Amino acid sequence: MLTVKNLTKTYNGSKRSLEMVTFTVRPGEMTAIIGPSGAGKTTILRSINQLIPDDSGEIFLDDQDIRQLNKQGLRRVRHRIGMIFQNYNLVDQLTAIENVLHGRLGAKSALAGMLSLYSREEKQEALDLLGEMGLADFAYKRCSDLSGGQKQRVGIARALMQHPKIILCDEPIASLDPKSTTLVMDILKKLTTTQDISILINLHQVDIAKTYADHIVGINQGLVVFDNDAAALSDEAIQEIYA
Amino acid sequence: MLQKQTTSTRFFRTKLTKALALVAGIIVLYIVAALTLGYDLTSFGAISQGFAWLFHYFMPTGNVLQFLGAIVTQIFRTFLIAVCATTVASVFAIVLALVGAKNAGLIPVIGIFIKGLASFLRNIPLAAWALILVFSFKQNELTGFLALFFMSLGFLTRAFIETIEDYGTDTIKALEATGATYPQIVCQAILPALAVPLCEWVLYMIENNIRDAVLVGLITGSGIGFLFDLYFKSLRYNAAGLVVLGVVVLVIAWEILSIQLKKRIEHHAKD
Repeated sequence: MLTVKNLTKTYNGSKRSLEMVTFTVRPGEMTAIIGPSGAGKTTILRSINQLIPDDSGEIFLDDQDIRQLNKQGLRRVRHRIGMIFQNYNLVDQLTAIENVLHGRLGAKSALAGMLSLYSREEKQEALDLLGEMGLADFAYKRCSDLSGGQKQRVGIARALMQHPKIILCDEPIASLDPKSTTLVMDILKKLTTTQDISILINLHQVDIAKTYADHIVGINQGLVVFDNDAAALSDEAIQEIYA
Repeated sequence: MLQKQTTSTRFFRTKLTKALALVAGIIVLYIVAALTLGYDLTSFGAISQGFAWLFHYFMPTGNVLQFLGAIVTQIFRTFLIAVCATTVASVFAIVLALVGAKNAGLIPVIGIFIKGLASFLRNIPLAAWALILVFSFKQNELTGFLALFFMSLGFLTRAFIETIEDYGTDTIKALEATGATYPQIVCQAILPALAVPLCEWVLYMIENNIRDAVLVGLITGSGIGFLFDLYFKSLRYNAAGLVVLGVVVLVIAWEILSIQLKKRIEHHAKD
């Protein structure tokens, strides 16, 4: 469903950040990208929805090369790709439900989005999603008053509001305590099994990758050094990834 | 142990020496400047005399109450000019800042141009603005309005750009990732997140412009500045003193009001 082919990026012409990165995310699977800090995990994720420009390669979502799209086309594709972040990246001054509704912006006219003209159905869906995340009582709370785990669940609800085919997760549990980590990872895993959403997730923790992921891509200094089922990740392979 | 102690002694002695050197440097600067200008250092003695003269003549005494009506009317008009100039400037400034801020990710050349324009507007002294504009627009309230407007536009654009750039790119990127357009991101993230600091800049600018409006009025022959000039040149010093008193009251009143407004805004933002 998502195929990355020969993705290459150089920062400021000096250090090569990604070199011919190739891998595939299969539908309804959780694919984890692991590797040491600075290996290029975040760069890969942000290249997929073109938040940062890359140098060359191909990124196919279904049969469409994201890198060839014009502005309008890119906006449409971004709307089908959810994304959550280590620091949640919500608008802290707005309430949870307003942040969830931001997931609709990509589907709305510019003016309707600017003026928050959401339909009754959209608002109901946002409330339902917050309910599924266990945050029904927090819908009208400002996000700055929520805990990290709660904020990340608002972030997931925002991504789901996009009706995504795939969700990109950039170190989503790096700032969370163990209990919230389990909660968030369980939610993400459930999305792959019950809603057939693909998940591409950057992780620091190898054990969590092995527990939750179906498929693991190991990156070291911009190169793919492992690309196989999670069950096939041996100790030698881990040593090679973190070499 | 002993080694450690000497290290710490030396560290703090060095810090003290540096502080003393700084103070000495400032004193030397003053002496050099004063000698170059040929100040008579004993002239400080005349200061109290000067103030005594000032209080004697400018004390609003006697029959100044007959001027009160005119003064209050003009002070109020001056206040309104300051408010108009600031609010109109803030509308233009926020548009320029949203286009020019680095984290907006729009065309960098335009950002540099906007920052340059803002610095240019702001670094022309207000008195110069007023003098230049008097030539083209003659002596009236519009001239005063324009002088304050250009100054405020430059100042607020810079202040807004800094506020927006401090916000960073995290949330902006997150909304970009949902497929949101930049105008949508502005309305859904940047403005709600920065409403409080942006409003505080506008309140501060109004406060500044009330003070400056007096000077501008003096040069452009309008408002309270003109009245001060008129009384002063016709030797009605006590009336001129009442004008100064009125301006001080206005500025203090606005300060108190804007502190209350800021509290309300911040409180509202927390609920």
